[in-house]
Amino acid sequence: MSTSDQVVVDILIVGAGPTGLYGAYYAGFRGLSVAVVDSLPEPGGQINAMYPEKQIFDIAGFPSVRGRELVDRLLEQAAPFNPSYLLGHRAEVLERHATGFAVTTHEGVRIEAGAVIVTGGIGTFTPRPLPAAAGFEGNGLAYFVRRLDDYRGSDVVIVGGGDSAFDWAQALHPLAKSVTLVHRRDSFRAHPSTVDSVRAAGIEVLTNAQLSTVFGDGIIEGVEVTHGDNQVKTLPCQKIIAALGFTANLGPLLRWGIDVENKRHIPVAASMQTSVPGIFAAGDINDYPGKVRLIAVGFGEAATAVNNAAHHLDPAQPVFPGHSTDVPLAVV
Amino acid sequence: MPYVIAEPCIDITDRSCMEECPVDCIYEGERKLYINPFECIDCGNCEPACPVEAITQDRRVPEEFAAFAEDNKRFFTDPLPGRDEPIGQPGGAMGFGPAGTDTELVAAYDPRA
Repeated sequence: MSTSDQVVVDILIVGAGPTGLYGAYYAGFRGLSVAVVDSLPEPGGQINAMYPEKQIFDIAGFPSVRGRELVDRLLEQAAPFNPSYLLGHRAEVLERHATGFAVTTHEGVRIEAGAVIVTGGIGTFTPRPLPAAAGFEGNGLAYFVRRLDDYRGSDVVIVGGGDSAFDWAQALHPLAKSVTLVHRRDSFRAHPSTVDSVRAAGIEVLTNAQLSTVFGDGIIEGVEVTHGDNQVKTLPCQKIIAALGFTANLGPLLRWGIDVENKRHIPVAASMQTSVPGIFAAGDINDYPGKVRLIAVGFGEAATAVNNAAHHLDPAQPVFPGHSTDVPLAVV
Repeated sequence: MPYVIAEPCIDITDRSCMEECPVDCIYEGERKLYINPFECIDCGNCEPACPVEAITQDRRVPEEFAAFAEDNKRFFTDPLPGRDEPIGQPGGAMGFGPAGTDTELVAAYDPRA
């Protein structure tokens, strides 16, 4: 994983969802160097953010595959070509120059690329805020669990009812001093089997509950949870994880000079090229007559985009890549 | 392929669904909420959030509420009472705000007791 301040590649893929990850494989297969940038700290895009535990039934060759497993396999498929992953980096500014593009992330990393493929899905994900804890971000309040060890020995309160909330509750239970899950309803979006195992592990789950107050001066010392019929419970707490889901919008992409429709979709030609030569778009984010927004379609579009990008980078190269089953040409 | 809000939402408008929608595509009328079918990504986050179970996928709307699938769309494609232009695709409800009006189908319902 490259985190140097300057990355130079043939192709930059913006968005590490399934379409982007497959594009990374395809660029590698075509002998192109590739970087993948995504604002989320983990790859997988919508799959990871919204349905990691769901079975998916319409991926070619997989009668059934769990979301998380599909992401792992896409990473494995691309791995031989060593893509540079810039995760937790929001692609912010795009500049055009004579030989291609430069994209700078909000962390200040500059990526030079001959062609750009936007596989940004529904846009940049932003975690939903937890107003009661607003002042404590970075001082005990987190929206993602980056290192389990940071929670060792702490009293942890997790707010949310989705898969991430329950996954983190399960993962932190063995090493935290205590884990309490707080959810504002009594039904959960998380997979029922994950909910069951969290309850079986003895993790306290407070439903119809809201985190109303956070105590502490600079660092978190405790929280007050209002639950049920106006009951108030005070809990010792040093770490809060807000797993309240995400909102998404195209954000900085709207300022890249690419045509965008209705602030949501990028129109493309049959080659997946956008209104800007050298910038392509594939997956949920693009649009054309007859568009169907499915992962299966995104995979095909990623291949189309990468192969047309290869031809754009070097017009002597054909659009058609050859077959993955071809015997490699002997190196002379 | 979108989700649809049906009759149980009328005069309730709890708005929990709006908090769950990752693409901010649930818009507020006067007496009911409406999902923009051109902006909905079919994720399903809104469905369990609704306290009155008003939300289903458009292909699973209960028979007695079948008209609401088309009606959700109409909220965005037809000029509503008191408005000259259709709402269309504003790109997010937060910037758009409450429309202050409803479709004819919804407006014709008697107030919920």
